Amino acid sequence: MIDGLPNHLLFADRIHKTYPDGKVSALVGVSLVVRESEFVAITGRSGCGKSTLLNMLGALDRPDSGEVYFRGTPLSTRQDLDRFRARQIGFVFQAFFLLPTLTARENVQVPMFEGPPLSTRARAKKADELLDQVGLTGRASHRSSQLSVGERQRVALARSLANDPVLLLADEPTGNLDSENAERILDLLVRLKHERKLAMLIVTHSSEVAARADRVVRMKDGHVTEGPAR
Amino acid sequence: MLAIIEVAALPPFHSNENDPSWGSKRLPTSVIDRQLAWPRELLPPAPPSMYFSTFILKNLTRRPTRTVLTILGLAVAVASIIALLGISNNAERAVEASFEQRGIDLIVQQAGRSSGFNSDFREYFVDETKKIPGVKQVASAVVNLIDVTRDSGNSDQVIIQGWDNDNFGFDVLDIISGRRLETGERQKVMLGSTLAKNLNKKVGDTIVFGRQDSRNKENVYEVVGIYKSGIIFQDGSAVVSITDGRKLTGMRVTGFSVRVNKSRPDSTDEIEAVRVKIEALQDPEDPSVQLSAQTPATFITSLSHLKMVKALTWVVSIVAMVIGVIGMLNTMAMSVLERTQEIGILRAVGWPPSRVLRMILGEAALLSLIAAVVGTAGAWIALHLLTMSPKVNGFIEGRLAPVVIAEGIAITLLIGLVGGIFPAFRAARLLPTEAIRHD
Repeated sequence: MIDGLPNHLLFADRIHKTYPDGKVSALVGVSLVVRESEFVAITGRSGCGKSTLLNMLGALDRPDSGEVYFRGTPLSTRQDLDRFRARQIGFVFQAFFLLPTLTARENVQVPMFEGPPLSTRARAKKADELLDQVGLTGRASHRSSQLSVGERQRVALARSLANDPVLLLADEPTGNLDSENAERILDLLVRLKHERKLAMLIVTHSSEVAARADRVVRMKDGHVTEGPAR
Repeated sequence: MLAIIEVAALPPFHSNENDPSWGSKRLPTSVIDRQLAWPRELLPPAPPSMYFSTFILKNLTRRPTRTVLTILGLAVAVASIIALLGISNNAERAVEASFEQRGIDLIVQQAGRSSGFNSDFREYFVDETKKIPGVKQVASAVVNLIDVTRDSGNSDQVIIQGWDNDNFGFDVLDIISGRRLETGERQKVMLGSTLAKNLNKKVGDTIVFGRQDSRNKENVYEVVGIYKSGIIFQDGSAVVSITDGRKLTGMRVTGFSVRVNKSRPDSTDEIEAVRVKIEALQDPEDPSVQLSAQTPATFITSLSHLKMVKALTWVVSIVAMVIGVIGMLNTMAMSVLERTQEIGILRAVGWPPSRVLRMILGEAALLSLIAAVVGTAGAWIALHLLTMSPKVNGFIEGRLAPVVIAEGIAITLLIGLVGGIFPAFRAARLLPTEAIRHD
């Protein structure tokens, strides 16, 4: 437990990131706390560092300086970041990124290979249950090309929950969807957050998404400019 | 009708988290879902679960044309390797079998000669060898390649063997037509079954060795017998008396085989003693001529023709392997490049580099395995087609030894893994964030 940060799940402490090919710093001393079961929305213009921050928090990338703590443990000391990502974090991307050769059921099972040990039958059953939860009963055997965009994002959402993570990181999850589908996905995210007591961090341009969050953090030029970082 | 009833029975969609149409054990919500959804009990049972190998298989089937072309390219390389290895192996095996069949302990030829075809010495050595204690039998021969003129006027080279009438080589020939050569017979020939078939000759026909000349009847031989030995070289050759052999080749004795009296079947001491004594023999008329006596195993490894075949086999095989590796490298590199984003996703959801590495190498290995099967079949077909050609069927056998197939499969897997390793490492080392951004 970090002093003064009770019940925190994730804590980014003054993180900096500059990409080797860029002259502009993507993140400049950003600090942020995400508590257990909290829904945080990060907003800001394109290129302000939202996605970079998401990558740091999700252990997809390392900050140049500063530290990210997960339940008090600095990520920089962990040797098993792949396993950490597989078991603690679910990712949802704007472009869904489903594997085109796999069916919806198979796509959902992809992270399970690195999750807690399950038999192949149990994996398939769990995938069906997750698809059921996102309203895709009967679509499990369809490949992504046979699904509508809304359905694809729901499959991606089911995939992100494959190993029962405690934190869901979503990068513009409604960005590629029409307003009707965007609203459905948002409803689903909020419902799953409550049902599973998930902490959720969503990077978004959408005011509708931000309006549903427990807390909104605004970013500009690599800084947190508005909203409580803690 | 059932679908219509189900659609009508479904609740309307509400974008509210309390909407009962969302969530586990509830039916789907969108219009599309409602049209396509079926009650769970009416759905077919869940298909078999997904294994890691499912990824590998599906990745290969996503680009069927490229996969098939890669397999074919690799299979051609593999087929050429296996076919050449097969030819080399069969030749070695045939020579070995011919010695084994006749119970030969030592093969003697002129020292310093690359093969029996250019060995030449006096009968004196044969007579002296017969006097060496421990020598059971000696079979001298004149062996060389000679032109045979076909009825069409074209000529082919065949192996001709001039044998003494007491040559124990006759013991293993199975006469399938006619008779064996008799003592003192001249201008008579026995043909191996393959050669007889190639030349379309039967007992009573004549055969012309060398150039056909209507005024010269001395190179016209009558076929008195056709034999089968089961050994490819033997069945593709002609046997004449040693006198005729000398006349046709211009050589005296090209080599001889020795059977040694042994205390035990596996005894080597007596053979070695005889070998040393043979090599110590000297022709008083030509002291420069030395003999080399070798056991069949040593002889086979020293045969220059076999060495050449082997060298050629490996040169062509290495070229084929390099082509195979480049083909595999190209395919796997393209495949990894195309799937950069997907690999980024796999890494993002927690797949470690080792699993990505195994996936790419698994694809390369599976491609190789299929190519090995196709290539082996191709090599077998190619060898059988070759054995149907009269030009080579006296020298090439159609079978593929299991060891050759195993070597071919091992080489193919090696090609696959070498070709796949670089793209696999590249894929494994991709950073998830960069891979996902890749366009």
